[in-house]
Amino acid sequence: MEFKYVGKSITRPDAVKKITGKAIFLNDIKLPGMLHAAILRPDYAHAKILSIDTSAAEKCEGVVKVVTGRGCKILYGDNIRDLVPMAVDKVRYIGEPLAAVIAENPYQAKQALKEIKVEYEPLPVLTDALQALEKDAVLVHENSGDYWHLPGLGPIQGTNIANLYKLKKGDAEKGFKDADVVVEAEFNYPHGSSCAIEPHGAIAWFHEDKTIECWSSSICPFIIREELARVYGRPSSDVRVHIPELGGCFGYKSDITVEQTVAYIASFVPGRPVKWVASRREDFTSTLLGHGIRTRMKIGAKKDGRLTAMETRVYHSTGAYADTGIHVCIAAGHNSAGAYEIPNCDLQAYLMYTNQPAVGAYRGYGHQESQFATERMMDMLARKLKMDPFELRAKNYLGPGKKTAVGETLCEVNGDVTKCVDIVKKAIYGKKQEKKEDDKYFYGRGFAALMKTPKGAPNSAKGCYLKFNQDGSVCINMGGAEVGQGLRTVVQQVAAECLMIPPERIKVYTEIDTQFSPWEWQTIGSMFTTQGGRAVVRCCEKAIKMMKKTAAQALRVDLDMLDYNGKCVYLKNDPTVNVPLEGLVYGYMYPNGMTVGEVVQSSDAARLPRYSNPDENGQGTMGVSHTFGAQGCEIRIDKETGEVLVDHFASAFDVGRVINARQIRGQVAGGVMMALGATLHEELKFDKDGKMLNPFMKKYRFPTIKNRPKKQTIEFVETPETIGPFGARGIGEHPVIGVAPSILNAIYDATGIEFTQIPVTPEKMKEALKARK
Amino acid sequence: MSEKITLTVNGTKRSVEIDGWERLLDVLRDKLDLTGAKRGCDDVACGACTVVVNGEAKKSCSLPAKRCDGAEIVTIEGLASGTEVHPIQQALIEAGAVQCGYCTPGIVMSLYALFTKNLNASEDEIEDVLEGHLCRCTGYEAIWEGALLAQKLLKKNKKK
Repeated sequence: MEFKYVGKSITRPDAVKKITGKAIFLNDIKLPGMLHAAILRPDYAHAKILSIDTSAAEKCEGVVKVVTGRGCKILYGDNIRDLVPMAVDKVRYIGEPLAAVIAENPYQAKQALKEIKVEYEPLPVLTDALQALEKDAVLVHENSGDYWHLPGLGPIQGTNIANLYKLKKGDAEKGFKDADVVVEAEFNYPHGSSCAIEPHGAIAWFHEDKTIECWSSSICPFIIREELARVYGRPSSDVRVHIPELGGCFGYKSDITVEQTVAYIASFVPGRPVKWVASRREDFTSTLLGHGIRTRMKIGAKKDGRLTAMETRVYHSTGAYADTGIHVCIAAGHNSAGAYEIPNCDLQAYLMYTNQPAVGAYRGYGHQESQFATERMMDMLARKLKMDPFELRAKNYLGPGKKTAVGETLCEVNGDVTKCVDIVKKAIYGKKQEKKEDDKYFYGRGFAALMKTPKGAPNSAKGCYLKFNQDGSVCINMGGAEVGQGLRTVVQQVAAECLMIPPERIKVYTEIDTQFSPWEWQTIGSMFTTQGGRAVVRCCEKAIKMMKKTAAQALRVDLDMLDYNGKCVYLKNDPTVNVPLEGLVYGYMYPNGMTVGEVVQSSDAARLPRYSNPDENGQGTMGVSHTFGAQGCEIRIDKETGEVLVDHFASAFDVGRVINARQIRGQVAGGVMMALGATLHEELKFDKDGKMLNPFMKKYRFPTIKNRPKKQTIEFVETPETIGPFGARGIGEHPVIGVAPSILNAIYDATGIEFTQIPVTPEKMKEALKARK
Repeated sequence: MSEKITLTVNGTKRSVEIDGWERLLDVLRDKLDLTGAKRGCDDVACGACTVVVNGEAKKSCSLPAKRCDGAEIVTIEGLASGTEVHPIQQALIEAGAVQCGYCTPGIVMSLYALFTKNLNASEDEIEDVLEGHLCRCTGYEAIWEGALLAQKLLKKNKKK
């Protein structure tokens, strides 16, 4: 298939505005009469609130109002309605909103915050899922059984279990009996932060006419709209949510998070907009975290390497509120089977309340945490079987006719993992390793295969509005959040290809505004290119059909005698008989001025076909669209400092179709770097009292340019898929999934040290090397 | 305690009332409506707030505004001329270094300060400067290529 625009590296339409500093982000917005809020965070991670004295704060200069959660009845959440906008009777984590000051400027608000006096009665603190599971553990939510939740999931009253997901495929007990070899281990992927450079922020404005307006650094305007409407008893149409440019997301700006708190605060000063922007510390302590997942895994295999059974137990320290973490935990459960067909699976995922900030989406969404275990264990199993790890994996890969853990049978269009493996194998293992060790370094190589499914609500559609303008140029409006991933370019290129119009004549929307934008559930799960792209294709096809219909009237021929070429609609057997686009877009006008035909503007949406909720055994169609891939690396370990240096990192994914060559490379290079951060540097640490010890970028050890791999090989396999435009499937999150296991497999190769936890910091490496001697 | 300072920003002399505690970033963003410099961290780690003060790249989020009295300041808003972007900006766009765009203005300003002082900066010097800028999107690959391309373009322009 020859493409004119798809696959080309066209420049992103927002590049100039961003690089000239003119792109408008949340914190750049000023509104008339705007007030500023500062939020008080508690001294304890778990405590009863005995009293809050706001009298001194109220008297401070510039203070308009001081707000507490006293008497607040609001509960919110999409899956489990366990969230509160502000602590009511007790605080459940160290970053929880406890009170807020609204003032004329941010400085005054922060100053007055210091005058609020709180009395607490401290309670025992839980900082790990396993601790929360203990029989006599303190309860984070005493009445969790009362919370509204979606059918088929939810908390178990009287425990800290916020959800227990169980997947049963075949008979795991029998599978282990049939096994010749069994391996078992526990892995830990600790808490981290998506840590976009732009922190979270929101503005809420309760108007006198009872409408509500909100601006947010979020990727889910419509969820914010629906939830604010529900909480404040307004029709959705009375709530207007704007999304300006977003300075990165990587997961944690999904789901409704800070907006309910800012709206609650602003509801006390109707008529005036209230702005709140997180400090970096608050961005760590008071917005969504990632990971916090322990995985215990057992795999059984026959002597010849065929897998017979898998048992997984995921223990997720999901924090004080479980609404945003629940599907991460479920995804970690059923995706722990990785890129393999395993006939017998017993997978369980415990979502545990702890006294930590809530965990939510983080690029990879449960996949990298449990497949970290899977891919490390495939290497362990290969050693036990005395088998080449590539051969062991190859015997078990998913592919056409094979069944995933959730019971879906795969087809050719779901992609080809073996082609990805071959690319990475050649790049990393293509030539003989020169040496294992010299005076300064140990050298190692590692590999991991991976699979990712999207995660969404079954009805998670993406909408598209397309309109032709008088001169034949096109405007496209969608509800997908551009967080840097480049979806505007995707829309432009897909539409250009469909409409046969150059991309520079197709204008793609900038901000999202629920008043004008078509509905989109939220921009998550690496699904925009697939679903959003399909919606664009549908709109383009509709528009072309409208033009043909009008031309059929104008030229007095049957519809099927006509064709379209991006410039005009013409008679197939005589192209000189035609009507140019400009003469069709607002209808066809006869010489006497009479006009017929439709105005060419189309609307459509797309969702994943037959995507369903899991049944009681965790079986269903939770994948629909899969992306397979492989990653590998060559590393060096500095004997003196313990630092792991990545000389070469290779990634290959079956993306179905590359839409923009430069952008897709950027997505993968960025994803690999992000996961290298988690693997070698980043960890959010808590002390036993639930205090976060390093909520700063420097102490969180966010990687810099000097930590990047010396070389990255990034290649793509293109097995077209049927849902996405021109065969394209998702790629945004996938590059993070195989990084930790491939690096840790390489560390084993270099040193024989079996790490089961990340990050492997230089200090930990040094210690392990010392212990080995 | 408020006081008055005078800054020359992007070639225009501007007087502004400030409070003693205010940082240059607050003054630029809140009082002079120059929102191109961004706030990203609280510990001078991210570099998104970088502007050029008397020829030196400075992280404006930690720089007391009153220490800038009389200074010559260039911000991201001062780089493009009309609809013509600066060669550094052009190079970063061409390399694909712009993703979310939040860290980008700071990176442009640091490279601008570096190449204005020393167009023959070595790769090590360029890497040292870029080490002060955090980016979550790109994995730094495209930023690195963009920086090298920027140097090349600027050298070519100089020869003309």
